[in-house]
Amino acid sequence: MIAVVGLLIGIVGGLLLQPTVPTELQPYLPIAVVAALDALFGGLRAMLDGIFDDRVFLISFLSNVVVAALIVFLGDQLGVGTQLSTAVVVVLGIRIFSNAASIRRHLFKA
Amino acid sequence: MTSRHGGEGRLPVAPAKPLDASMTLLTEVYRRPLDPGYAEAAAKKSGGPVPRSVRSVSTLVAIAVVLGLGTTAATIALRQPASSAQRAREILEAQIQERTSKADELQTQIDDLTTQVGTLQSQVLGDDDLALRDASNPVAVESGVVAVEGRGLRIELTDAPTDDPDTQDPTLRVQDVDLQVIVNGLWASGAEAIAINGHRLTAMTAIRSAGEAVLVDLVSLSSPYKVDAIGDPVAMQPALARTSAGQHMSTLRTTYGIGVQMSSRSHLELPGTGPVTLQDATVLGAPESPEPTP
Repeated sequence: MIAVVGLLIGIVGGLLLQPTVPTELQPYLPIAVVAALDALFGGLRAMLDGIFDDRVFLISFLSNVVVAALIVFLGDQLGVGTQLSTAVVVVLGIRIFSNAASIRRHLFKA
Repeated sequence: MTSRHGGEGRLPVAPAKPLDASMTLLTEVYRRPLDPGYAEAAAKKSGGPVPRSVRSVSTLVAIAVVLGLGTTAATIALRQPASSAQRAREILEAQIQERTSKADELQTQIDDLTTQVGTLQSQVLGDDDLALRDASNPVAVESGVVAVEGRGLRIELTDAPTDDPDTQDPTLRVQDVDLQVIVNGLWASGAEAIAINGHRLTAMTAIRSAGEAVLVDLVSLSSPYKVDAIGDPVAMQPALARTSAGQHMSTLRTTYGIGVQMSSRSHLELPGTGPVTLQDATVLGAPESPEPTP
């Protein structure tokens, strides 16, 4: 739970402080946010499954974001940035959807 | 492979060759989207609670705070450019609407004043100078100053149908030259007054194009273009067909797919342009002075 509390503190702090992101990082932001969403949904599902773990949640969150940004960076260097971004979004999108479906089953029993 | 043990997403024991062997990646992504690490951690925990040091907890919190901060910053950064562009657009839209309504207001003012001028003019001329009024009326009609109504022809031009207006070949659109040829043909075949989409044409009206828009009297119009001409429709139709405009219209129809529809109307109403700038004046009935005053 401590991770969730920390994350909430970070979000509130971000909303209050409005930090600016360096322009070099701008191209990786959309994918990073999608990856973060995936980690969030995964964490929520794990919580409902009763197997939530702070460490696993944070590490999956961090690695998701970093790997997603890395893939986009690599794709940009190779000239297939948009295609790779699409691939990442598709895979993460499928995961988000099935996690969301599982969360729905937990919450509404349907 | 250790991740396959434990957890609710365990795959059924596969036969020697699963049917969807070629889609293992998709199956993996779709059937077991939850990070297997959670199941592993849960399995480890079930052996007994693992005590955590203060340092590891504070590290976790620090990472969590940084991640939350970063995600929020990224989200804000992603939303900002869109919103600033949106704001600029809204400002421009508001300005356009404001100016348009102002122009409309001024136009109504012009119309009002024109009617006043007309009334005053007929008052000044009065009943005692019927001959003068009779002489000035046709001039007013020809110059397009006053509104007129009567029988006439309507020619409707529409751009060729297209799937994507952005990439359309400009030759498939109605162009200024098409309208010029048709208007000239109508004048030649005996039209007394002509208006395009409600804009009265006078001797001073220009039909031009600016980019993709056709300008009539500096007002941009768009398809469909309705060319209304007052005159005797029975005489005008064959006369128009004999001019170059008739040929031009059939070329437009057959070669470019531009819609051309001609119909005779029993009642057309054309607006006036309002007062024109007076550049040369002579007293009616008086002998014309040979040298114009500068």
